Amino acid sequence: MLLELNNIFKWVTTGGQRIFLLKDINLQVEQGEFISVMGPSGSGKSTLLNVIGMLDTFDEGEYNFMDESVYSLKEKHRANLYKQYIGFVFQSYHLLDDLTVQENLEMPLIYKKVKGSERKAMVADMLDRFNIVGKKDLFPAQLSGGQQQLVGVARALIANPKLILADEPTGNLNSKQGEEIMELFKQLNEEGVTIIQVTHSEKNAEYGSRIINLLDGRMV
Amino acid sequence: MFKNYLKIAWRNLSKNKGYTIINLGGLAIGMAVTLIIGLWIMDELSHNSYFSNKNRIAQVFQSQTFNGETGTGPAIPRPLEMAFRESYMDNFKHMVMASWTTSQYLKYKETSISREGNFTQREAPEMLDLNILKGEMDGIREINSIMLSKSTAEALFGNEDPIGKTVEVNSQYDMMVTAVFEDIPFNTSFNDTHFLMPWDKYVSINEWIKNAEDQWGNNSFQMFVQISDNTTFESVTAKILNVKQELNENSKEFNAQLFLLPMEDWHLRSRFENGKQVGGRIKYVWLFGIIGAFVLLLACINFMNLSTARSEKRAKEVGIRKSIGSQRSQLINQFLGESFVVVLLAFLIAVVIVVLSLNGFNELARKDIDFPWSSMGFWAASLAFILFTALLAGSYPALYLSSFRPVEVLKGTFKAGRHSGLPRKILVVLQFTVSVAFIIGTVIVMQQINYAKNRPIGYDKEGLVQIPTMSQDFQGKFELMRDEFIASGAVVEMSTSSAPTTSIWSNRSGFVWEGKPEGFQEDLAWTEVSPEYAKSLNLKIVQGRDFSREFPSDSNAVLLNETAVKYMGLENPIGKFIKDDDEEDPSPPLKIIGVVQDMIAQSPYEPVKQGMYVFDKYGNSSYYNLRLNPAQSASQNLAVIERVFKEHFPDIPFQYDFVDQEYGEKFAAEERIGRLSGIFTALAILISCLGLFGLTSFVAEQRTKEIGVRKVLGASVFNVWNMLSKDFLKLVIISCFIAVPIAYYVMNGWLQEYPYRVILKWWIFALAMLGAMAVTILTVSFQAIRAAKSNPARSLRTE
Repeated sequence: MLLELNNIFKWVTTGGQRIFLLKDINLQVEQGEFISVMGPSGSGKSTLLNVIGMLDTFDEGEYNFMDESVYSLKEKHRANLYKQYIGFVFQSYHLLDDLTVQENLEMPLIYKKVKGSERKAMVADMLDRFNIVGKKDLFPAQLSGGQQQLVGVARALIANPKLILADEPTGNLNSKQGEEIMELFKQLNEEGVTIIQVTHSEKNAEYGSRIINLLDGRMV
Repeated sequence: MFKNYLKIAWRNLSKNKGYTIINLGGLAIGMAVTLIIGLWIMDELSHNSYFSNKNRIAQVFQSQTFNGETGTGPAIPRPLEMAFRESYMDNFKHMVMASWTTSQYLKYKETSISREGNFTQREAPEMLDLNILKGEMDGIREINSIMLSKSTAEALFGNEDPIGKTVEVNSQYDMMVTAVFEDIPFNTSFNDTHFLMPWDKYVSINEWIKNAEDQWGNNSFQMFVQISDNTTFESVTAKILNVKQELNENSKEFNAQLFLLPMEDWHLRSRFENGKQVGGRIKYVWLFGIIGAFVLLLACINFMNLSTARSEKRAKEVGIRKSIGSQRSQLINQFLGESFVVVLLAFLIAVVIVVLSLNGFNELARKDIDFPWSSMGFWAASLAFILFTALLAGSYPALYLSSFRPVEVLKGTFKAGRHSGLPRKILVVLQFTVSVAFIIGTVIVMQQINYAKNRPIGYDKEGLVQIPTMSQDFQGKFELMRDEFIASGAVVEMSTSSAPTTSIWSNRSGFVWEGKPEGFQEDLAWTEVSPEYAKSLNLKIVQGRDFSREFPSDSNAVLLNETAVKYMGLENPIGKFIKDDDEEDPSPPLKIIGVVQDMIAQSPYEPVKQGMYVFDKYGNSSYYNLRLNPAQSASQNLAVIERVFKEHFPDIPFQYDFVDQEYGEKFAAEERIGRLSGIFTALAILISCLGLFGLTSFVAEQRTKEIGVRKVLGASVFNVWNMLSKDFLKLVIISCFIAVPIAYYVMNGWLQEYPYRVILKWWIFALAMLGAMAVTILTVSFQAIRAAKSNPARSLRTE
């Protein structure tokens, strides 16, 4: 088992009243799954993804990632775990504007303290695999949306994560670009990468092997 | 990783040019000021470090108490030497009697120059460890020998080898050159010493010094010592403290105490108040140190404020980096790295600024500082300085920026909270507090100088020239020269005096007069003058009459100043006698024939000292005082005077001083402080304004949408300007109210040192506040008006 959420609650308190963002979430994810999380706006999809991705905390419950209890880990350990196993893909790509494509890809490796020569090789591999060698010296602003997201996915993949978390990865793309990205995910999944994606689109959700529906922070 | 940080830092800098210029410029100016002040402090602290025995050398000082007031100084009596040589030599490695630094005419063949130097005992060169370039260290053991500095030897002998040649001194005696020593550097206490001659020579050519051999009351000499290796200054002081009183009964009356003032203290801690060492120049070292630290702080505050103000722009970057695996500590390192890059660049610019401005600074501060290119210590200190500044400027932004939570900033819901600007505001207040305090301080220093300058000085210093006449050649020539000068038409009146008008060289006691209070220990300034003194100075006689050559009895007459009359308690001074209380061999009594107006001879910040002007019957003239002919220009007069002078004294270099310039020298120290603090204040304000300018532009940018909406709703340019300026003006007003009491407290303390001082007026403070506000409004308005005039349609579209 890759990860396991048991009775996860997350809330904010406004005016003395608890508003639940996540309510009693129980979820088990096996290695190699492709899960689509669906639900209306504000149902807690992104929050769930962020909790799984350890970008966000929860208030109650238990979260085990590869048999380690995330809640009790120190920040440094958590960051290590996360650097090692998780890659993020965002709706609005979130590339570093000041860095070239190549440098954007390099960044996670730097944080993982991969050596320079090895880094170069991995980046070159990734550029090759995604067919963006010619774009390596361009800045994000010089790329189309689809190309930027391609770089985003490449960046998420470069550190060989076990899990990719994608928050509406096609939300800002036209349908053709979106299809390409989804095909890519599918291919990655077949290669053994676990993927959890948040999506509004039924069609994209179909790529997944399992669909989770959320409503008001609750799994339905 | 580090390379990556540098790369990002560099791209960030080049992308935001305006921000970079403000940040770099402010930091560079701040660092340049700190560097210059640092060099200045280094120079002050390394004073006398030229002498390898610095830590073991001291001068013998003496404290004496007159009427409950203790005076302290380096002047000691001659018999002390024998007393020390007999019983105290185990404390000293070297002991050297020395004259004050005096000016002498040196002549070789046709070349005649005037140079300052000292008569000292034999061991002085060894004690000071002079760098002997030619000849021998032990060069003044023979009575007719002289050691010269390199520059003096070159001026006299040109390319000839000076060793063994003969120099004629003051047209009086011949001395043989035995050694040439490297010029003693400027930042030492002996920087004026260009020759050394034997002490014995000094004694043999001056009758009064011979006579002083057993005079315990004649404190006219200096003594330098190098203490033995196995002792300390304190323990030697403990031994010699009461030597004078033990050997001389009269000294008990004045509680004469001897002590050693270590060489390390000569320059920075030589001020004594009532017998206690109370610092001295070290005060200015601290003052400038604090100014330097503050200016640097101001520049760092700019950096912090601008960095955090731009936080919203960088929040996204922080979020992404965290989401791809960055730890907070790595982000902190990244931001610190960026500040390091900026500080390093600023430092390089600062070095350029310092190198370019060092000459001007040296002139202003009267220093001889070189940029220490080859000093490893300096570069090590600089590296520490850069790291410190990078930490100071970068730590707060690094901590602040790296604390952003990725979920919020990436979702785009990140908004700096209502109070997020508070630290920034506090820093702005701090900046302007410092600036306003600087303004007030500078204005008060200037005011005090002007106040003292405008003080009536009692005589007419304009058009008055003095010529030194200490050489033997001038003996008995006064009447002749006076006739010649007046006949030449360049001079309308001329006199001699035993001291320059701008100083008191001699103080006497041991008098009795009618009505002298029992046990009164008088201390009177003593100047011997020719009868024309008051006339040549335009010094007003307020009672009685001036000297006159028509009364032969005037050779035993005296003029008192007004303060002396009050001091001595004389009600009808005219015609009274002042007698010598020496019972064995009394000088003739002096008859008071007149009272002259007080004239400032010493510090213009202090009350005029009680003094007497005595008819000079022994030819003790040190200066001619020449009242120039006002009908002609000074340069015309001087040309004539030089011609006449050269006719009579062909071998003596023609030297002269304008008395008003000499008098002006009394303000030099304060004026230097005033000018320097003026410049530093201006830079501090510039830095603060740069920061404010940057902040305003960011606030205007942040509020672009708000301004657009307001304009659509009908706000005028003035409304928007008012809205943007008000916030900053409020901060500056708060600063003013913090700065005023601090500045008042500090400056009031500073002024206490000057008995004659300006009274602090409220309007100085009001003016400084108004000035600060005006500067703020000007700075802010540029951006505010630009923002206010922007087209709302465009600014709203940017959303």
